[in-house]
Amino acid sequence: MSEIMSKTEDIVKKGKALGADEVIASTVFGEYRQSRFSNNQIDIGVAWDEYATSVLLTWKKRVVATLIRNFQDVTPTMERLFKLAKASQENPVWGGLAKGKFQYAKSMADDDVRDIEAPQEYVYEAVEAAKKHVGNSVESGGILFTKYEQVFQVSSEGPEGQDQRSAIELSIRAFAKRDESGHGVECSSSLKGFDPARAGDKAGEIAKMAKNPKAGNTGKYDIIFEPLFIGSMLGAYGFMGSAFSVLIKMSVFVDKIGQKVTPEIVTIRDNPGKHSMSNRVFDDEGVPVKETIFVDKGVLKTYFHNTSTARIFKTQTTGHAGLISPSPWSLEIDAGDMSKDEMFKEVKRGLYVTNTWYTRFQNYASGDFSTIPRDGIFLIENGEVKESWKEVRLSDNIQNLFASISGISKERIQVHWWGEADPPSLSPYVLAKNIQITKPE
Amino acid sequence: MEKDIVDHCLEYARSKKIDYAEAKGQDTNVENMVLKNGALDAYSVALDSGFYVRILADGGLGFAASNKWTKEEAEKIVNVAYKLATNAKRKDKIKFAKEKAVKTVWEVKQKKKIENVSSEDKIGTVSEIDKAIMSQKINVAARMLILNIFITDKYFVNTEGSVISSHVPKINAQAIGITVVDQGKTEQLTFKEWGYSGGWEAFDVWKLDDALVKEVKVLQRVLEEGKPVKPGKTNLICGPEVTGIASHESCGHPMEADRILGREMSQAGRSFVYQGGPYWIGTRIGSDKVTIVDDPTLENSYGYYLYDDEGIKARPRYLYKNGIINEFLQNRETAAKLGMRSNGASRSMNYDREAIVRMANTYLQPGDVNEEEIFEDVREGIYMHSFTEWNIDDVRFNQRYVGREAYFIEEGELKGPVTRPTIETTTLNFWMSVDAVSKKLDFVSATCGKGDPSQGAPVYTGGPMMRLKGVHVK
Repeated sequence: MSEIMSKTEDIVKKGKALGADEVIASTVFGEYRQSRFSNNQIDIGVAWDEYATSVLLTWKKRVVATLIRNFQDVTPTMERLFKLAKASQENPVWGGLAKGKFQYAKSMADDDVRDIEAPQEYVYEAVEAAKKHVGNSVESGGILFTKYEQVFQVSSEGPEGQDQRSAIELSIRAFAKRDESGHGVECSSSLKGFDPARAGDKAGEIAKMAKNPKAGNTGKYDIIFEPLFIGSMLGAYGFMGSAFSVLIKMSVFVDKIGQKVTPEIVTIRDNPGKHSMSNRVFDDEGVPVKETIFVDKGVLKTYFHNTSTARIFKTQTTGHAGLISPSPWSLEIDAGDMSKDEMFKEVKRGLYVTNTWYTRFQNYASGDFSTIPRDGIFLIENGEVKESWKEVRLSDNIQNLFASISGISKERIQVHWWGEADPPSLSPYVLAKNIQITKPE
Repeated sequence: MEKDIVDHCLEYARSKKIDYAEAKGQDTNVENMVLKNGALDAYSVALDSGFYVRILADGGLGFAASNKWTKEEAEKIVNVAYKLATNAKRKDKIKFAKEKAVKTVWEVKQKKKIENVSSEDKIGTVSEIDKAIMSQKINVAARMLILNIFITDKYFVNTEGSVISSHVPKINAQAIGITVVDQGKTEQLTFKEWGYSGGWEAFDVWKLDDALVKEVKVLQRVLEEGKPVKPGKTNLICGPEVTGIASHESCGHPMEADRILGREMSQAGRSFVYQGGPYWIGTRIGSDKVTIVDDPTLENSYGYYLYDDEGIKARPRYLYKNGIINEFLQNRETAAKLGMRSNGASRSMNYDREAIVRMANTYLQPGDVNEEEIFEDVREGIYMHSFTEWNIDDVRFNQRYVGREAYFIEEGELKGPVTRPTIETTTLNFWMSVDAVSKKLDFVSATCGKGDPSQGAPVYTGGPMMRLKGVHVK
């Protein structure tokens, strides 16, 4: 056992010795690097390193938690935590931590992500790719982000394991003019095959297409969505799939297990696997992660559970702890059978929407929401881009949006962007019919 | 906090070929509890503690942070930040506007010390609020209450001689997913929060039991009596909550100089204000009734501070003045680029996040009519007291607010509730339509999102009631 693992185990033992029923400790040594850029230049290079152990302790169904930095003050911190448990109140629905010993898959991290010598070169590669479409007058901005985490986790209930988690993301938004922009991302767990130019190329291509945008019009439209847009919608849909969201009615999925929620062509799964920025081999309870089918051919199969929420719903954990709130790690829509070109041919009069932001709900139980498309928005007539649009809003219902999907592309892209397209997802192009668009009046 | 390690960061940074460096240590005692559907889900306490160094060298900026408090780690992060700064290899060299060095200590005092309130009493306070919500004969199908406490000590030093220590306790309460169900229909308070800089007396100020009982009664009434509005032009009176969100979204954000200069172009976006564009300082953006201020110095406000995270003294900023764009929110970098001075708007939310341009407490200044007068001239209109869904485009010009609590107005009198009236309009149209502003000022707490990684900044929004003439409501 490594020294770090041993120290993490000592925290668990300390909690048990104090009288705790359950203790889980997770030590993360994280190295995070970011190059932020705008106007084609690096604004700041940022690095932050974390050495911290998060601890959750239960006593008579009282659930308390704390953070220990760099193994400092373990004994007084654990004594204070146990005292807090005694002062706390019972959580009658606490279902306990996962029990048992598990075998874990090999970590999927790429050590090369850990220390990139010249991150600015990745940024400039993406900027140059955007310039190929837009020219030297392009204004581009974004981030290059890398993460490398070493995780050491020990639970009093049996699970213990080590993991390394890596991620790299290049996000670039390119402007040809003030209101002519495109956004591209390149996301991976690994440097292998990571191509910053691909993101710059996408951003530049859309920015060039977005020439001379006109104010759009209110109406119902068939819409082709870029994967980046779908990543945002999957984030909202996945949040509602958490059993925690269901318990507080912040979800359209209350009492809908086994019911049809989308057309049959839609299958959504969660898979924090090899290529995902959320790659991991176990969840926050130490349960091995696995591929989970969330929506199977249109039918809602499960919520995302930890052990405690699974007990409430009389089912098994899906390996999505979050000790308090389970959540999806990395969503995927299964590939469809259409090409992007075939999708365009399907649209007599509709829109091609490339990105969105500021998604807000009126009521999570009903799913009424709006979101603001940004970057390229295009009117399609008879399968061809007719003109570029701006200043519109998608104002509809998330159940309706997913229920209106009529086409899914074969091509899929790993996307993640800021807090907007989060968690990471493997998203296709999607065609949805009859979606409400509004504009300022 | 080990201040000598922060000082060592700065001294070690001086050994490099730098133009400027600053270092900061930050200890935040964090306390958090979640009460879900009446049961205490979890209670956490932690000391979040670490330090950073930010270096300006060769016209580039580097920032590095750690939570390992050793001198070796301090030197390591200085080396990393220096390398990041010099790696930037910018053509346009970053400069900071010249500002005076400051040596000071400041703090927010508590009337009732949070440290003296037992854990049991904290739980009891939140539980009583939950009981009050459930005391009504209303089917509240779900609810979640969250209490957050942050007691933060900062120690800031820079190579220009500033040395600033501060101590700020903040309390935040949140109500999430308050869901009322009646005959198969639901109405929901998706999110509402209360924030305060100070001590446990916050709960005396907030009176959360009354506030949340009122909220569930409103949700029930909307379910029972709410009617949709007939779309068209009408008069809209906004309550302080709606006035506040509009002030924040379509005045505060577009006046952030880093957006104006493009630094947020890929994330939070740009601004409808830009050099060479149709809007700049001196351009009309609203009626002469519209004066919007951002003021960090309001005592006990959620966005309170006396010195920003670059060590600049805080002061009120008049963003829109009598309908004219008047002043941007600045840090030292943006001020240098624009040939202006910093006005102390640089804020960082933790030791591991760079300070960026932020709002503090953004509100519409009170006008000259009382609340009765603002209603009495309205033959037909809508009063939007509070909002649910809202959003705005990334240049802060196309915005939308959907009413949560709203009423019809007929002949100057409030009538029955309106179900989700919506205003979707431009910043120019919105503020130009303001024809009356009431005298009574109220503040509303919020957590402003910006930065990458995102930094949620505690702020007030707010204002008095204001009346918009002839706007489209649907």
